[in-house]
Amino acid sequence: MIVFKYLLYIMLMVFMISCKKPYNPPAITAPGSYLVVEGVINAGSDSTVIKLSKTVNLSGAVTTNPVLQASVTVESDQNISFPLTEAYKGNYVSAGLNLDNTRKYRVSIKTSDGKTYLSDFEPVINTPPIDSLNFKVQNSSIQVYVSTHDPGNNIKYYRWDYQEAWQFHAQYQSQYITNGTAIVPRTAAQSIYYCYGRDSSSTILIGSSAKLMKDVIYQNPLTQIASTSEKLELEYGMQVNQYALTGAAYNFWVNLKKNTEQLGSIFDAQPSQINGNIRCVTNPSEPVIGYISISTVGHKTVFISNAQLPQSWKPAYPYTSELDSALYCHYRDCQNDVVDFLIPLGSTEIPVSAITKGPGTIGYLASTQYCTDCTIRGIKTPPAFWK
Amino acid sequence: MFFIQISRAQQSTAKLISVNFQQATITQFISELESKSSYHFYYDRVQFDSLKITLQVNDKPIETILDLAFKNTDFYYAISQQQIFLTKGRQIKTELATGFLEVAPSEKEVKQTSAVADYTDEKDKKVPEATTENKLYEIGIKTNSIKQGNAILTGYIRDIKSGEAVVGASIFIASSKAGVATDKFGYFTITLPRGRHTLIIRGLGMRDTRRQILLYSDGKLNIEMQEQINSLREVKISADKVANVRSVELGVTRLDIKNIKQIPTAFGEADVLKVVLTLPGVTSVGEATTGFNVRGGSADENLILLDGATIYNPAHFFGFFAAFNPDIVKDIELYKSSIPEKYGGRLSSVLEITNREGNKKIFTGSAGLGLLTSRFNIEGPIIKDKTSFIFGARTTYSDWLLNLLPQAYKNSSASFSDFNLDISHQINDKNNLYLSTYLSNDKFRLNSDTTYSYSNKSVILKWKHNFNSKLYSVISGGMDRYQYDVSSTANPVNGFDLAFHINQTNLKADFNYYLNSKHTINFGLSSILYQNSPGTFEPNGSRSLVLPQVIATEQALESALYLGDKYDVNTNLSISAGIRYNIYNYLGPQTVDQYAPNLPKEAGNVLDSTTYKKGQFININQAPDIRISARYLLNDNLSVKAGYNTLHQYIHLLSNSTSISPTDVYKLSDPNIKPEYGDQVSLGFFQNAKANTIEMSVEGYYKRLRNYLDYKSGAVLLLNQHIERDVINTDGKAYGVEFLVKKTAGKLNGWLSYTYSRTFLKQNDPNAGELINNGNYYPANYDKPHSFNFTGNYKFTHRYSISLDIAYSTGRPITLPIAKYEYAGSERVFYSDRNVYRIPDYFRSDFSINIEGNHRVHQKTHNSWTIGVYNLTGRQNAYSTFFTEQSGVISGYKLSIFATPIPFINYNIRF
Repeated sequence: MIVFKYLLYIMLMVFMISCKKPYNPPAITAPGSYLVVEGVINAGSDSTVIKLSKTVNLSGAVTTNPVLQASVTVESDQNISFPLTEAYKGNYVSAGLNLDNTRKYRVSIKTSDGKTYLSDFEPVINTPPIDSLNFKVQNSSIQVYVSTHDPGNNIKYYRWDYQEAWQFHAQYQSQYITNGTAIVPRTAAQSIYYCYGRDSSSTILIGSSAKLMKDVIYQNPLTQIASTSEKLELEYGMQVNQYALTGAAYNFWVNLKKNTEQLGSIFDAQPSQINGNIRCVTNPSEPVIGYISISTVGHKTVFISNAQLPQSWKPAYPYTSELDSALYCHYRDCQNDVVDFLIPLGSTEIPVSAITKGPGTIGYLASTQYCTDCTIRGIKTPPAFWK
Repeated sequence: MFFIQISRAQQSTAKLISVNFQQATITQFISELESKSSYHFYYDRVQFDSLKITLQVNDKPIETILDLAFKNTDFYYAISQQQIFLTKGRQIKTELATGFLEVAPSEKEVKQTSAVADYTDEKDKKVPEATTENKLYEIGIKTNSIKQGNAILTGYIRDIKSGEAVVGASIFIASSKAGVATDKFGYFTITLPRGRHTLIIRGLGMRDTRRQILLYSDGKLNIEMQEQINSLREVKISADKVANVRSVELGVTRLDIKNIKQIPTAFGEADVLKVVLTLPGVTSVGEATTGFNVRGGSADENLILLDGATIYNPAHFFGFFAAFNPDIVKDIELYKSSIPEKYGGRLSSVLEITNREGNKKIFTGSAGLGLLTSRFNIEGPIIKDKTSFIFGARTTYSDWLLNLLPQAYKNSSASFSDFNLDISHQINDKNNLYLSTYLSNDKFRLNSDTTYSYSNKSVILKWKHNFNSKLYSVISGGMDRYQYDVSSTANPVNGFDLAFHINQTNLKADFNYYLNSKHTINFGLSSILYQNSPGTFEPNGSRSLVLPQVIATEQALESALYLGDKYDVNTNLSISAGIRYNIYNYLGPQTVDQYAPNLPKEAGNVLDSTTYKKGQFININQAPDIRISARYLLNDNLSVKAGYNTLHQYIHLLSNSTSISPTDVYKLSDPNIKPEYGDQVSLGFFQNAKANTIEMSVEGYYKRLRNYLDYKSGAVLLLNQHIERDVINTDGKAYGVEFLVKKTAGKLNGWLSYTYSRTFLKQNDPNAGELINNGNYYPANYDKPHSFNFTGNYKFTHRYSISLDIAYSTGRPITLPIAKYEYAGSERVFYSDRNVYRIPDYFRSDFSINIEGNHRVHQKTHNSWTIGVYNLTGRQNAYSTFFTEQSGVISGYKLSIFATPIPFINYNIRF
């Protein structure tokens, strides 16, 4: 009977979840490389960043192909233009534009190969503030939600992105450091125990109240964090940016999400063309990827400290290593492990604490860089939004 | 017994035998007789163990020996050709009692009737299980001399055991090529020269039989046939063997449920839709999909009829199971090319599923147990020999099993069920009533708080009336409904309830007029009233802020008049030609936008908007459909057939997913959505070999499709007030060649098919706003050039058989990404032109062993087991391949369904 039960179980697994395996298609190369335009014209006092890149081959190792030395301007329907300057790697930046919200604006791009691209004129939309940013504890994760509403009941379409940061510590707290000639106590400024990890949203986060009586977005999920994530070890912070969208812009994002994130079910929609609002004036048949909207941006931050979460949740360290002892005089042959392994600059073994015998130090407990140096995967300064 | 002797004596082939037994056991007695004659004995040894025979005779016929041997015992014998059946307590009748024939013809051997009555002492023996092959029936008004010319013979062919109509049985006389087949009521009409004939009757799954008639004038003859299944002889399925070569139709396949049950399926339960996929010219986009594609048509271009009721969603659980109870279904018939005039409204095919009639004589039933589903049916007479019912129910109990799944699936549930109740009633000789009802329900909730449910409901009443021997009519009326509902309360503010339904009310009158031996005329009219609610979206829960949204209901009337003639020009040439005139009215109440001509249908191009009152005709679409096919016999076993047909479709499934999804809705043609149109020309060669036990055919076709619906990028199909703004008209072409070899008799039977076919679509409407693949032809999702199928069953004994099923096809086309880029914090992909690439080829083999319980007639229950493995080689066939971002990086994945060998077991019991 147990076997029978097991058989049913296995069959159901097959039945319900089928089977998903990696798939490498035959080498496919695109007939060309197409311009990708990403960014929002910030109508308020914050800076505007437009990022230009080109598509790369699917099998290629390179993932980014920034477009350099282009000339990018924001233009109004009354021929007022605001130039953007190239800042870094295909990012074109302007300080706060403070646009007139009764006018329409577009982006004009002239690339170094002589092509001109124009986005459609779009209205300026005032983004309402975020009402709340909260989280719920679930079985073995937390879910972060955003809620907002438009008192005027006419925005209806929203997009969010976020930056997140979290404080974490290395496995072992190193109290000593080498100066190249000797092991000396580590100062507070030299501490590599506490760091901040940082990340930003990588999925398309959109919401619509078009089907509701009021323009209300209630608890739209943003991200889910597993209980074992290092993000929840000490303190987690998230800053969310909210952008109001037009219906057409919303459709672009829905379509992009469908085509690149929501595939793999039995009832997939067929991949379709991504129609943005940017066209190549020089060669109208050339596909251009991207949608430029104009809006103000709403911000809100939330902090979640470990104390707010269930006591039983423990983070899983990405690295684990034991503490080794390094002595000035090793028991057997009196080899000087401290000089050999810990003192050289750039050594991957880092002293953690001293081994003492009576009043003297006879060596150090040490561990790998991964388990002692938090800067390997974080930075020591908190992000700008950190409280 | 005397009468058997007489009939044997008539044949005067009796060999004389001499025997001498002293206290012989039955074994000794029979081996002696078998060695001295050409007879075979069948008996149950246990029943005869007390019998000792002492007998001495010289040069006597076997009947005399048996008479003497069993004198004063309760043992009986019955002789049928070369077989002798020995029984205890009751006698097997090898002939049909004349009294059972409702249209009793006058008989020469009247005395035999009473002789039969002497032995029908038990209740169920009132129906003699015998044939009357050796009797001569006189039909019509008896005259001294037989007149010259022809007369018409009509009647019903029924199953002797259940009284059920035998559909598609062929009746012909050996001396002529003229033959007819029974219709779905088992009714036939044949014109024969007056005089004496031997009628040969063959039916699918029935034992071949003969009737001797003396035809004086027009008359009736009802014939009963015996089922093949429990025969003690070698099982020989003599399907309508000659139909392959002699019928006028092309691209028509009929499969009996017995064939269907031999084919292994994923969960062990016979599946009437999966078997359709093994036929040439039929493909599907993947494993476990609801739809199937016939000769390049999309899944919504198939008309699926269950006893005349339209079934909109023929599958349970997203397409894993067919929504038809295999214990109720009698047979299926798929029309791919020669679609009869009486059918219309879909472009690609008609799949006719016929349920059994209930047993008119005794109560019987069956039950089946599978790992995930169970089914039950019961049938029997309400008024014996007049009224019967059949009830079937099927359900899944997978719901509790979901509790065994890991935490992540805990919130899942799935259930489905279906019910059939059919009643047939014979009012009198000329009038029959048939009532069929059907209900299917599906409900599932998978790992989310959203609940999906859908349901099919149908009821249909048919009245068959025979005016005279030449004309009969079938008038039917019914209602069909398909609905679904999606609801969620996971987020209290967004709690919603999305509902869709379509209703159709049908009225149909079909007439069949048998003009003379050369012309059979079909005519009739039909009307369907559609009431379609394309979608309502309503708040669910007290805190829900959902704005109620109702897409205006649509009404339309689809009517047709048809006339067709099957004309046998001479013995070699037959032509079937018909016309179906379609009239389609889109009805109010409705508000319809008028768009500026030659401009894209967009909000900005609306010229005017007209509101129509209830019942008002908004537009009328009229179009004739032509149906022609012809057959020419090159010789007795070889024919060539050609056909041409045109079709219109006024109802469209809005779906832009690869397979039909549970939230797809239907849309009726309106002034802005043109009806779909298709035509097809086909040519085929048909040959039978080895005494009609091997059927071969080659068929080629070319098909055009017009106004097939495709969608703009980012089209919204659900709850769209102006769907015409999101659809694009597409044209298509499909062509192919289908090869089929079928073996219908012997220990090994089955079929092998290979199809080469292509399907292309083209979207070059300049007003569409965008062009797919620059307006060039591109392969459709279900374009699979090479497709090979083998379905075979090998019977070792009457109790053990094995089945093997092999399927291979080219992978279906897909759109693959050709470039990647970074956007919104992640790598994303840019897609190629539509359907430029293909997923890997598909291959699957299934195996099953069928074990029948013993074949003893007098036991309370008969049981059988089916054990097998689906996807024997465990090949991980790609259902789809897709590229999706996972933590900011694009990766390719292959989704497979049933990716491991799946063992199954099924237990069936009949009572």
